[in-house]
Amino acid sequence: MNKKSYIEIEKGVKFLCVNSDKFKTNCIKVDFYLPMSEHLAAQNVLASLMGHTSKKYNTFKSFNGRIESLYGADFDTSIATIGEKIRIRFSVEIPDDRFSLDGKSIAQETVDFLIEIIKNPHCENGEFDKEATDREIRFTLQNIEAEKNDKRAFAVSRLRQLMCQGEPYGIDREKLEQDVKNLDGKKLYDAYADMLKSSTIVITACGNLDGEMVKDKFSGFENSIADRKPADLPTIFITKADKIRYFKDEMDVNQAKLVIGLRSGMENADDSYFPFRVMTDIFGGGPYSRLFLNVREKMSLCYYCGARLFREKGIIFIQSGIEEENYEKALSEILNQLDVMKKGEFTDEDFTSSITALSDAFKGVEDSPVAVCTFYSSQVFDDSLVSGQEYAEKIASVTREQIVECAKRVSVDSVYILAGESGDNE
Amino acid sequence: MSNIIEIKNELLNDSYYEIDHSSGYKIFVYPKENYSSSYAIFGTKYGSIDTCFKVEGQEKFTEIPEGIAHFLEHKLFESEELDAFARYAKTGASANAYTSFDKTCYLFSCTDNFEDSLEILFDFVQNPYFTEQTVQKEQGIIGQEIRMYEDEPGWESLFVLLRAMYHNHPVRIDIAGTVESISEITADLLYECYNTFYNSANMALAVAGNVTVEQVLKVADKMLKSNESKKIERKFMEEPATVVEKTAVKNLPVSMPIFAIGFKEDIKTPCRTLKESIISNILLDVIAGKTSSLYEKLLDEGLINTTFDTEYFEGYGYSAHIFTGESHEYEKVREYINEELKRVVREGVNEEDFDRIKKKHYGNFIMNFNDIDSISNSLIGAYFNGDGLFEQLEVLESITVDDVNNRLRTAINLENSSMSVIKEA
Repeated sequence: MNKKSYIEIEKGVKFLCVNSDKFKTNCIKVDFYLPMSEHLAAQNVLASLMGHTSKKYNTFKSFNGRIESLYGADFDTSIATIGEKIRIRFSVEIPDDRFSLDGKSIAQETVDFLIEIIKNPHCENGEFDKEATDREIRFTLQNIEAEKNDKRAFAVSRLRQLMCQGEPYGIDREKLEQDVKNLDGKKLYDAYADMLKSSTIVITACGNLDGEMVKDKFSGFENSIADRKPADLPTIFITKADKIRYFKDEMDVNQAKLVIGLRSGMENADDSYFPFRVMTDIFGGGPYSRLFLNVREKMSLCYYCGARLFREKGIIFIQSGIEEENYEKALSEILNQLDVMKKGEFTDEDFTSSITALSDAFKGVEDSPVAVCTFYSSQVFDDSLVSGQEYAEKIASVTREQIVECAKRVSVDSVYILAGESGDNE
Repeated sequence: MSNIIEIKNELLNDSYYEIDHSSGYKIFVYPKENYSSSYAIFGTKYGSIDTCFKVEGQEKFTEIPEGIAHFLEHKLFESEELDAFARYAKTGASANAYTSFDKTCYLFSCTDNFEDSLEILFDFVQNPYFTEQTVQKEQGIIGQEIRMYEDEPGWESLFVLLRAMYHNHPVRIDIAGTVESISEITADLLYECYNTFYNSANMALAVAGNVTVEQVLKVADKMLKSNESKKIERKFMEEPATVVEKTAVKNLPVSMPIFAIGFKEDIKTPCRTLKESIISNILLDVIAGKTSSLYEKLLDEGLINTTFDTEYFEGYGYSAHIFTGESHEYEKVREYINEELKRVVREGVNEEDFDRIKKKHYGNFIMNFNDIDSISNSLIGAYFNGDGLFEQLEVLESITVDDVNNRLRTAINLENSSMSVIKEA
């Protein structure tokens, strides 16, 4: 397969199209990357609003009617933090043109739709439509509040806020909520203008579609937007925690949710990434991992216990659901397993299992247009793109020694538990 | 010798192979050109609703505690020597399993060593090994799984609704059972259920991706053991047309009330046809999808948010049209849904709406044929329902607006509906 790379179609606009005729569908993702700023609350509302109405399609009915007429396109907008970058994403998957019932190009009509809703949002005279703004503020507030419904996600989000207080990454949910309440159509428009002006735009497409057509249609941001200047996208890496901090929130939950935050020691997203990836996997990845085999299988303390590396911020989160009375037992075993990693006492079998499983998974990562777009767009800020096959090779070349070196750099920052209200479980 | 038939679809330009293997098992192979990975799923038509059954020839139905199908799923991974996960760790496959209302499936995906992984799959599913000690260990783990679901309001809301709608049908019981019911499970009970449901007549294998029929047969010939095929009869729990209660409330810490409104269909036979299922999905989209007047009205009045959704919920002996969402004014939402249903029954479905939704379903049908996991799971699901994988398209094309109007009038009765509400105490 040819070496792939994003091409810069104009300053700060990157484009990649992976062509393949083995799929039934085409996928297109348009991402706007921005640094964390005072626009965060407005960006949350924008990501929702721009996926629901636009100037031309100014009701839910007309907007979604257009999507349904594109053969029920799987369309979605979202906002996420990638390290301390904000990513606003427009994502769509559609049947390939060969399935068109009227001879029209589904891909071309879909790209036109994307451009239409991005360039002509639901506003007039520098302000977003009042009704749409109010409705979307309500949705966003309800979304923020609804985080509480998913106790596992809530626990992770709380740990993140507590552990990374003072860093942009530790988003303060209460402040965010307040900021959303104070928004109006004008502030939303300012954030929209900033998105067009300051973002790095990344367009990734995959399938049996005409890359040139997509590229041409997405060209011209530079000319149409005055003073367009993509902003820097920094992320703070804290490489060591001084001492362990302990936190507890009380809520009437049936099962306590334990989350532990680690500083990996990575100095940037590329620093020993592959060894850290394998280390985290041996520690708490698949069912062959130390945490699964010991905390779950041997000690029968939980149903899930796993660790995940957030490369773009250099932190690792460990999650488990336990009975609160087993808190000490679970915590001490998790930390004990981390020590096993640091001392290099994991077995050769642990090591081989992880390498084999990870390599196998990455070799098959290019078997759907959505997966292809997700995989390559996650590498857009790397020096060069690696294919699934090359990714697997990099995993396979990691050595035991490198893993122990990485594990030694890891420090425990914060331990958080979400558990029953006092008196209930104690 | 195994009998092999090729089943082709012109539109998709894809084929799959349906094989009656000499061992008695049914096998499906769906090769995908130029794919790197493969996905295999080995399933038995045995799920959480199978708590009362008899094997052909037996006089009486046998009743068993809740949660056994799921418990078995966990335990089959263990063996006297290496457990299945440890064996997969050597081939690199990513393995898992799941239990639903009506089936239990064991699966893996991989790029390398497909044949070795398939051998592991066949081996551990055909060779159960339980002791009282390993059963006890699992009670702790599954107990935590049940507790985890108790903290998920969306899941709870479905089961509160099912208990409000169904008097007798075991669909009202949580798939994993309860902490109490699983404490009654013993190694002997597990063997009894295993020996009933895990046999060639009740199971099938589906594989999709970078594989050939020859590869699959090579492993199947070596590993699949003929066993006494048993015809199992599920008890058809006759349900009254009416619901248990109109409204059921459960308190959990949630930011705003979560509701589920279900319309129970009065059914005289255990199964719906594929056509009825597809019509139901279309009709829910027409009535309450994102382009419906109902959706617009509920949204404009601030009664729902974008979590509002619908589901046609159907299986052996149960059928319901369900509306779910979050709202402080759930009673009002219910009122609006009822009014809209009455109006559409009276006036009929609009042709234009019907055509647009049908086009959407056509697109969704095609989009299901990229992912090898969705293909394999659909193959198993269609087979257990007695349908073919590609039939969906022909059936969809044959559906008319009159079919939708007819089903709407017969399948939804406003009297037989329940609502569950999960809200803060």
